Amino acid sequence: MAATHAQRSTREIFTTLEYGPVPESHACALAWLDTQDRHLGHYVNGKWLKPEHRNSVPCRDPITGENLASCPQAQAEDVAAAVEAARTAWENWSGLPGASRAQYLTRLAKMIQKHQRLLWTLESLVTGRAVREVRDRDIPLAQQLLQWHAVQAYTQEETLAGWEPMGVIGLILSPTFSFLEMMWRICPALAVGCTVVVLVPPGSPTPLLLAQLAGELGSFPGILNVINGPASLGPILASQPGVQKVTFCGAVEEGRVLRRTLAGQGAELGLALGAESLLVLTEAADVDSAVEGVVDAAWSDRSAGGLRLLIQESVWDETMRRLQERMARLRGGRGLDGAVDMGARGAAAHDLAQRYVREAQSQGAQVPWPVVVASPFRTAKEALAVANGTPRGGSASVWSERLGQALELGYGLRVGTVWINAHGLRHPEVPTGGCKESGSSWHGGPDGLYEYLRPSGTPARLPSLSENLNYDTFGLAVPLTLPSGPEIGPSPAAPYGLFIGGRFQAPGARSSRCIQDSKGNLQAYVAEGGAKDIRGAVEAAHQAAPGWVSQPPGARASLLWALASALERRESAFTSALERHGVELKTAKVEVELSARRLRAWGARAQAQGHLLQVAELRGPVLRLREPLGVLAIVCPDEWPLLAFASLLAAALAHGNAVVLVPSGVCPIPALEVCQDMATLLPAGLVNVVTGDRDHLTRCLALHQDVQALWYFGSAQGSQFVEWASAGNLKPVWVNRGRPRAWDQEAQGAGPELGLRAARTKALWLPMGD
Amino acid sequence: MGGRIPTRGSRRGQRARGQRARGQRAGGGGQRARGAEGPGAEVAGPAPRGTGAGRARRSRGGGTQEGLGGGELGVEEPATAAVARAMSARNLGTELDLSWISKIQVNQPAVLRRAEQIQARRMVKKEWQAAWLLKAVTFIDLTTLSGDDTSSNVQRLCYKAKYPIREDLLKALNVHDKGLTTAAVCVYPARVCDAVKALKAAGSTIPVASVATGFPAGQTHLKTRLEEIRLAVEDGATEIDVVINRTLVLTGQWEALYDEIRQFRKACGEAHLKTILATGELGSLTNVYKASMIAMMAGSDFIKTSTGKETVNATFPVAIVMLRAIRDFFWKTGNKIGFKPAGGIRSAKDSLAWLSLIKEELGDEWLTPELFRIGASTLLSDIERQIYHHVTGRYAAYHDLPMS
Repeated sequence: MAATHAQRSTREIFTTLEYGPVPESHACALAWLDTQDRHLGHYVNGKWLKPEHRNSVPCRDPITGENLASCPQAQAEDVAAAVEAARTAWENWSGLPGASRAQYLTRLAKMIQKHQRLLWTLESLVTGRAVREVRDRDIPLAQQLLQWHAVQAYTQEETLAGWEPMGVIGLILSPTFSFLEMMWRICPALAVGCTVVVLVPPGSPTPLLLAQLAGELGSFPGILNVINGPASLGPILASQPGVQKVTFCGAVEEGRVLRRTLAGQGAELGLALGAESLLVLTEAADVDSAVEGVVDAAWSDRSAGGLRLLIQESVWDETMRRLQERMARLRGGRGLDGAVDMGARGAAAHDLAQRYVREAQSQGAQVPWPVVVASPFRTAKEALAVANGTPRGGSASVWSERLGQALELGYGLRVGTVWINAHGLRHPEVPTGGCKESGSSWHGGPDGLYEYLRPSGTPARLPSLSENLNYDTFGLAVPLTLPSGPEIGPSPAAPYGLFIGGRFQAPGARSSRCIQDSKGNLQAYVAEGGAKDIRGAVEAAHQAAPGWVSQPPGARASLLWALASALERRESAFTSALERHGVELKTAKVEVELSARRLRAWGARAQAQGHLLQVAELRGPVLRLREPLGVLAIVCPDEWPLLAFASLLAAALAHGNAVVLVPSGVCPIPALEVCQDMATLLPAGLVNVVTGDRDHLTRCLALHQDVQALWYFGSAQGSQFVEWASAGNLKPVWVNRGRPRAWDQEAQGAGPELGLRAARTKALWLPMGD
Repeated sequence: MGGRIPTRGSRRGQRARGQRARGQRAGGGGQRARGAEGPGAEVAGPAPRGTGAGRARRSRGGGTQEGLGGGELGVEEPATAAVARAMSARNLGTELDLSWISKIQVNQPAVLRRAEQIQARRMVKKEWQAAWLLKAVTFIDLTTLSGDDTSSNVQRLCYKAKYPIREDLLKALNVHDKGLTTAAVCVYPARVCDAVKALKAAGSTIPVASVATGFPAGQTHLKTRLEEIRLAVEDGATEIDVVINRTLVLTGQWEALYDEIRQFRKACGEAHLKTILATGELGSLTNVYKASMIAMMAGSDFIKTSTGKETVNATFPVAIVMLRAIRDFFWKTGNKIGFKPAGGIRSAKDSLAWLSLIKEELGDEWLTPELFRIGASTLLSDIERQIYHHVTGRYAAYHDLPMS
């Protein structure tokens, strides 16, 4: 009977020539679930952890709704157990030679290779993603990641000298991120010597399976621990003793909340938010190939987020026709079918899509289903303006056969990754990250490694949480300036103004504060800057920024060198200004000399930034560009009033940033003296120096949405406030948490850490071929 | 004149489509019609027109029409319909419009990626695979292009074309009454007579295709290239696979290329023109697109990837570019042009990938022998081997299947 049916079928299909089902057996995945009695726990310290009395969440097949297994939700004590295991493991793991860690990662890659069928069927079964995508792309990439990072671990002592692993890393994944996103982050963390606790949403067994595979290698239980639980456990994970960094992958709003919650906590926070991408299609594009790019970006089960499509008006109709034609041929269906483009996804993905569409419609864009928002543009310049005019800064592709135009757009887009005439390519060697609200954490490439490293000798991060810090009132009120005793002797020089837009200006508040020398005598009056002055300074910096960015590094270097010479010429003036603040003559001389040297050193380093990567599967290069952050606000420390100021300023300028600085509170005079030289040497507005109440100015800068990054060296409370306030535009912040830095030491005063923080990376993919 | 051509073409096209709907293809559904007319009709047609003149009532239009100017204007309706049995309506071509190719830029790395994806994204299994493979057989231009071809191996080839899959296997799959044959046989000009004779002896209407115009290099005088076409048509070839002059492409002489193909088309008369672009020697994918478009504007009924004699033959990236050109030409003119990959397609698995490529890039309408051919020699035996396995569950021994 079955045979005749088959024969009739062949005959019918011969006429219709339709596609048939190509089911992939998932018996393997079910058998694995059976080994756990269909009851998944957490995988901690190389063992399954199945605590009693936990709320269970079912793990369902997204298509049939069949209950595949139950997953217990972790509670605080489970989190604590996982962190404890990771911390114990860290003591051993971080001390190993890199070669041993490399060996372990290689073994894990082999382990994945051995069990790849189980991995891909399980992943496709529970997420509904097309099995082909998991099998042909994710699994090989996971192995490549382990292998590439094994090589990095092997050469770590040599290439990453001066850096040490941070410690225990917490990784929080939200439901739309696949196990591959976990691999992107645990590989570098493990490679450099950190241990990891991963918090995955309940109902995602693939990370658990990976942890089991790692655990079954035997030698180092506890370096990779995976627990199930809601993202709301994030703060609990972050506050566990020993957790040095938390990396969060999820939605922008969740990221914001977490940023606020974790202000002042021990752990550093890395954010990778949203997964939306952008595609710019110019009239010089190979439109058919660009349409394939749209398919890759939006309908290939690769991207969790939506796609913003910018199409040049002159090819709008043609593109839409081709796009519709292409969309008509897409096949959806069960993820475990070998011939579908997209698997039917769970409810979470659907909700995300709906939200994205609503957001887009509210902005007046056209929305062809599913989740591609298309809008036209007239010129490449306009495309750039439209593309950069959003808070997102993840990834983008540019489609143009004109090399000049493609590069212009590629360099101009403010995003973390740009593909020219391609979309969605990834490789372990190429850093991937973002800017603006997409978060500023990186994975892959050298940048991915630095995420889990800190300069050797940096003390472990401890909570500096000040419970009674009131975010609403911190630095809100400007202290009143009252006359402070008689002016002794000849009247001091006229009060210093604020250095904004290349000249000294009177403060908006029209009041000054007096600066006393070490003997308590009045030394000078400086302007009392306020919110309006900060606004003016940021505006001036924004105006100056494009000009400075377009300067070649050589030109930046020569200006920094000129500034250094000016400093040296007026050495005696600076020395005496420092002496009046109680600095010994010898030390003062060293400080001035070192300051000049820092300016020169960063000028020289400006020349050598960014480099070229060669990626295996790609013919053509990937450029790792180091781009300026934009307008960078720096609150300088009170100590080393000239040296710290010069060190921070030099690093920022060398990398092409425009700066707003708040100088030392107790001794702002040397900084203001430098401004007199800058007024003649530097473009107006490039550097702005605002004096006044540091808390108040910090508040204004931290809450300013158009300040792209903020470095804060001041009190623990100020640091906490800065972290909290940065959630607004998710600007990257660097705070000292009230700890002084040894600015006169090369490592802390001019180390690679400054260079790393003073610029952001962009990966520019340039496939070649004709 | 240019204004009239499309009108005639579309009218003819409709008629031809109607004819197809009734009569089906040459080798397949056509057999039933043939049976109705009786074997007498089969042999009655005058030899020079070959299979296209198989039906007695159409012989009127044959014989004299391959004259130089007769191509577009002097053709009588019935003759067109006769050829339409084997192929789609003739492409009358268009005026040369260089704006169709001037802006085109094909991005090679992106096309390579697409080519890689498309081979992995559409698999067919079990009954679907068997049906698709059988369908693939009906697309094959069973080819022998060797220096040592003689009438005996051509004869064997023709027999294999008529009976491509063992009868018992077809019965097992219940498709034995579909009149399954290959789409055509393809030989050198000097072997056309042998093929026509052999096919007639086998009682088959499978068209004979001949390569021409200095195949494979095309480096002979235009005059002899044109004469070669005429002689092949006289010998009974109803499909002519011409090679283009690569020199003209590489030096950007698009008008000259258009004129040459235009002359090839006239020389073909009623025979169908398949233009081999020899894509392995065109230098870039952008040139492939441009050459495809010129060939279609000049009136090619098919565009074909390669001669099988270049170092690089039918590859997916090249095919994607040509298929996109075919779609663009269809969108611009309403004319459907056929596609023929040739060279290097040897395995049954390859043929499935090619079918899905056509289905994805152009759609089901192109999956007919009138619009899609595969030029191959050894592919057929691998397909038969797979069908054998599908039916019996065993792998065939070498001697289980007849050689071609």
